[in-house]
Amino acid sequence: MLHKKVDENLDIDRVFDSPAEDFDVFIRIAREEDIAVARQMAKQLAQEAGFSLADVTKIATAVSELARNIYRYAKQGRIMIKKLLDDREGPYLEIIASDNGPGIAEIDLVMTRGYTTYERSLGIGLSGVKRLMDTFAIYSEVGRGTVVITGKRRRKF
Amino acid sequence: MNSNGAVNRVEEMVQELAADSRLQGLWRNFLTAALADNKEKKQVEQLKDSLSLLFEEIGEQAFTAGLRAMAAKNPSLPVTDLLCTVIQVCGEIRRENEQTINNLRQMLPELATPIIRIWTDMLLVALIGNLDSHWAQNIAERLLDRVSAARAKVVLVDVTGVPMIDTAVGGFLIEMFSAIRFLGTDVILTGIKPEVAHTLVKLGVDFRMVTIARDLEDALRKGIAIVTGEKKKRRQLAWVMTGDKESESGEEIDI
Repeated sequence: MLHKKVDENLDIDRVFDSPAEDFDVFIRIAREEDIAVARQMAKQLAQEAGFSLADVTKIATAVSELARNIYRYAKQGRIMIKKLLDDREGPYLEIIASDNGPGIAEIDLVMTRGYTTYERSLGIGLSGVKRLMDTFAIYSEVGRGTVVITGKRRRKF
Repeated sequence: MNSNGAVNRVEEMVQELAADSRLQGLWRNFLTAALADNKEKKQVEQLKDSLSLLFEEIGEQAFTAGLRAMAAKNPSLPVTDLLCTVIQVCGEIRRENEQTINNLRQMLPELATPIIRIWTDMLLVALIGNLDSHWAQNIAERLLDRVSAARAKVVLVDVTGVPMIDTAVGGFLIEMFSAIRFLGTDVILTGIKPEVAHTLVKLGVDFRMVTIARDLEDALRKGIAIVTGEKKKRRQLAWVMTGDKESESGEEIDI
């Protein structure tokens, strides 16, 4: 679990311009309806990958939170989901939320429960996503945008 | 006139494009309008009409295939002009669809969330589907109005039909519950599915401000208990005020 302010290896603009064909789900977020679409697509993909109902719901909720953050703060962005297959470990769903919005100055503060800059919000979205998923990384630069990369592995039964 | 030759060949092209006489008619109308020389407003309208009819009938794939075949055989066909018109027509169709979707969306909350008076002083609202902010606002307003008008003591909120509760939906529910409690009305929440419960705990959404019931039956029982409890209290108060355990007529006193 890491969250870094700026990572030298990650180019925010390059992630934002990732080609759609690299992903199983690629959705542009620009309107409120897009949040529901992203959530629905994520749910479907997770179901097809054989995740349990609880995990499907967690993944759908995480996507919903990320998409809503994009819509609220950056106005526009992308949600990209990739299914990675590993014979030994089983399928792994990677979700990338990317925007060219205002960026986050105080990442540690944003990751704190109850902190929000939005009036009608509980301020538990991002930290909630971290708790819902297995891996979580956030990269942000003020004026350039934000990238959240998070993933969940299918548990063995 | 360059396109005159093409006009003469309309019939020939129509035969090539479709076998069905109805489709032939549609293509004929479209081609005649497309090849007309004077592009006045009326003509353009005619072209648009015939085009949208054709679209509806055969779909864009068959249409593009037809157009491609025609353009290959008839270089005189004003493809650029046609394309512009096609794009305009598509835009209009899209706008119309968006309008329809918007209208439907506005209708949806009314249709999907009836507020039912299920018992004396008790209302039931069953929330269904994914709640977006407009919808949520609409439900909250209607429910508050209804609670206030009906002077309900208890509101049962059933979320069995809500597949997922994220922080936005959770926040909306908390706001709505708080507002209802400000009216002096108790809220009983029911229908949280196990997977949703797990997600809520992970997210840290807290519904502790309201009573939570296992299922609708339990919710109804709890609600009735509250309503009866309140009635009992009123009777006791009436007894204290009149100083008489039973009225002369034998009826229960209530205030």
